Amino acid sequence: MRAPTGISELDAMLHGGLMRGDATLVVGSAGTGKTTLALQYLINGATKFNENGLYVTFEQMPAQIYRDAANFGWDIRKLEAEGKLRVVCTSPPVLAQFVESRNPIDPIIAEINAKRIVIDSISHLESFIPASELRGELYRLVSHLKMKELTSVFTAESHEVFGDHLVVTGVGLSFLVDCIILLRIVEVQSSLKKALTVLKIRGSDHDKQLREFEITSQGIKIGVPFKDLEGVLTGTPRRTTEERFAEAFLKAAGKGK
Amino acid sequence: MNETGLRELSEKLIGTEIKAELLRLFHMNPGILDTVESIARRIGRLPKDVDPEISTLVELGVLRRERFGELDVVSLNVSKDREVQKKLIALIEGGVKE
Repeated sequence: MRAPTGISELDAMLHGGLMRGDATLVVGSAGTGKTTLALQYLINGATKFNENGLYVTFEQMPAQIYRDAANFGWDIRKLEAEGKLRVVCTSPPVLAQFVESRNPIDPIIAEINAKRIVIDSISHLESFIPASELRGELYRLVSHLKMKELTSVFTAESHEVFGDHLVVTGVGLSFLVDCIILLRIVEVQSSLKKALTVLKIRGSDHDKQLREFEITSQGIKIGVPFKDLEGVLTGTPRRTTEERFAEAFLKAAGKGK
Repeated sequence: MNETGLRELSEKLIGTEIKAELLRLFHMNPGILDTVESIARRIGRLPKDVDPEISTLVELGVLRRERFGELDVVSLNVSKDREVQKKLIALIEGGVKE
């Protein structure tokens, strides 16, 4: 059973979509498109797959989210009025508050019968919850959402924009989630490009290629895999040995003429 | 009667700068579900100044304050807020007619 993101190329990479009821981590540095991808997942859920969604934001104000979404043609206020989507702006201590196993967002989940949820971003929890308790609290939250049969997406900020040292999260959240989607900015031939890959899906095969993507006026658009390059994830890709050999061969052949 | 009612209601609603800022914040961002400390931060004020203003808006029913564990969580009471807005409009229109 899958929960399609509605981004056709990503769904193909995921072999049909996110696993229903699973937790997914979308990780990337600032400006890579984590929020856009997460919002698109909710908008498509509400408009194409009859799955209502809840978007939980910590820092970004809903008014800003409404405005940014409108740039992609997504009318969140209309979806809220129709009871298909809800944007909740809160702070990490509220989300981490459980009383008699209830969380403050539970009534909203029930009210709109949400099937999808986005927590944007989990990195903010790190600033409010003591490091020694963070993993346990995240585990509780992930499990709580699973028990409610929500297909959840957590975003997380990776501090490395470039470089070959990639830390997905500092708190080991990658072990708590079932799927990880990595967004990265890479330099290819003196141009900055955006790259997306699926790092893991628990219990399912997936496309392991690294693909270029763009943020268009309709949202995320995923293109073809990076070809003839290796080391793209380090941010400084180089041509493959085969490509270098072919070029050297052609060069040598040209000299021989 | 209308004038007195209008004055009292508007005084309670937007009698201070902070109350006006709070109403603007919640009307533009109806999905806020947060602590007084965090709400104060969002409008660039101190919790000690914001807390009594929130209490007035809670008394009016525009905002809701619920105890959740160790936290007081504040949110917009959408239906009551609409009701108060309608009342205010009716009072203004009544005042104009007079």
